[in-house]
Amino acid sequence: MSSDIENLAKQTENLSIEPIYNTNWCDMPAEIKVECIGKMELIERLSLRSTAKDERSLVDSQTIKFRKGEFRGNAYCFDASLYSENGYELSKNLTDSSNEAFEFVRYIWKVGVFENLKISFYGTAYTRKMKKYTGEIKAKNVELHYGDILILPMIVQKLNDGIESIMTYPDSRGAPNLDFNKLFAIPQIQNVPYWHIGNCDQTESLHRVAKMWIDRNSKVGCTFQIYIFADGSFKEFLEHFTERIVSKNEKRARIRTNNPDRHIILERGLIEIVDDLVEIPQFFRLMVISVEMKESEYDDNCEKWISKICPEYREENNI
Amino acid sequence: MSSTEQGTSSAAPAEPTTAPESAAAPEVPESFYYVHGKDKVVHKVSAGALQHSALIHGMISNLGYTEEQAKANPFPFENIDGDILQMVVDWCNQHKGKPTPPEDTNLPKQKEKLFDLVLAVNYLEIKELLTYCCKQVAMMVKGKSPEEIREIWMIPTDAEDEAAEKEAKKRAGKEAAGETAAAAGDAK
Repeated sequence: MSSDIENLAKQTENLSIEPIYNTNWCDMPAEIKVECIGKMELIERLSLRSTAKDERSLVDSQTIKFRKGEFRGNAYCFDASLYSENGYELSKNLTDSSNEAFEFVRYIWKVGVFENLKISFYGTAYTRKMKKYTGEIKAKNVELHYGDILILPMIVQKLNDGIESIMTYPDSRGAPNLDFNKLFAIPQIQNVPYWHIGNCDQTESLHRVAKMWIDRNSKVGCTFQIYIFADGSFKEFLEHFTERIVSKNEKRARIRTNNPDRHIILERGLIEIVDDLVEIPQFFRLMVISVEMKESEYDDNCEKWISKICPEYREENNI
Repeated sequence: MSSTEQGTSSAAPAEPTTAPESAAAPEVPESFYYVHGKDKVVHKVSAGALQHSALIHGMISNLGYTEEQAKANPFPFENIDGDILQMVVDWCNQHKGKPTPPEDTNLPKQKEKLFDLVLAVNYLEIKELLTYCCKQVAMMVKGKSPEEIREIWMIPTDAEDEAAEKEAKKRAGKEAAGETAAAAGDAK
């Protein structure tokens, strides 16, 4: 009996010492909530923004970083895969509704900052949606697959200024002619350090990119790659810049720019492809280089840069 | 919680306790400062440990206290519960002069306690601990649905919010009317 009383006394004593906590999420100042939201994955943010309008506006005010984001849409279906910096993955599949799909895309692009972003939009519905989209797409490296060439400049125009690489591929039906005048007028194309076009039939692309760089006094390191099935690109380049040629051979051509510190080098990726392909693509790399660069410093390993523009080549050759 | 003694007041503190320190004994004598929370229990903390708190570090830099002066004038944090301040002091001592690890598993799991800790840490401007705490708060709702989050964090729905706002307005209106009537009565 006496021990029971002692126990009870102890418990009461403890109770009186233990503080009472009433603090909860709603007592947190907005700057703390925002800090916590910054630690959440997308799925939890989406849940939190569905609880109340105040939470929604806080969640929507914060960007979220993704290691990779892939958006694929056509007339029949849409799917997206998002990979967070911490390795979490979120997939979204929708059928038959470009409206709903684009609502999702719009939201994710609004809050998302992508290390690598892949967009594959086919069909006029997506072209119409992109035309109306006024937001910015925040990405470091972007890979664009397209069926309708109209959509390409629409997407590129929406990329953020700090974009580091733009990789474009037409769909499997072939290479529609790109409107270079339109593309070269876009600041993102003018300033991007790396741009490549996979599968293009326009042999003028190389000299037109070089011309753009000369006109814009582009920085050393700017790189453009292309693979092309039509013949004549190299020859056309040489003809166009006859008066600027510094050196040339069957693999390379080096030209002067208007800047005495910079040259532009065009390299051919001469590789052996053993395949049943009827047509063999020709690979080219164009770069702004320092005038100081010696021939001994040229990169003879074209396989490495070819594999960047042509992932199939990388896979087949284990590069 | 480590052993503590009830302090009497900020002006005349009882013998303070020193929170356990994991760091090796310093080669040069270190200066100590004193802090207390709502419960008036005074904690003796080294200047090195207190460097984690931008707020206290700023205060110390401006004061230039001697050991005696520091002992006689503990920093009062009346807005922080005693056990929460103890947690903060313990953390500062454990991480004194050390690079902070990417994770901290010793934070409280009890949500209200964690939120109190967050508020205290935010007030004391302890950046690294705040990062851990916010991570822990985020973990509380990992994999939860909106309904579950609302329940865990007691988030009112928009309808509840609106109703509460209406009620508050109504009450304020009544109180104002009452005051006006009382003032009119006084005037008569």
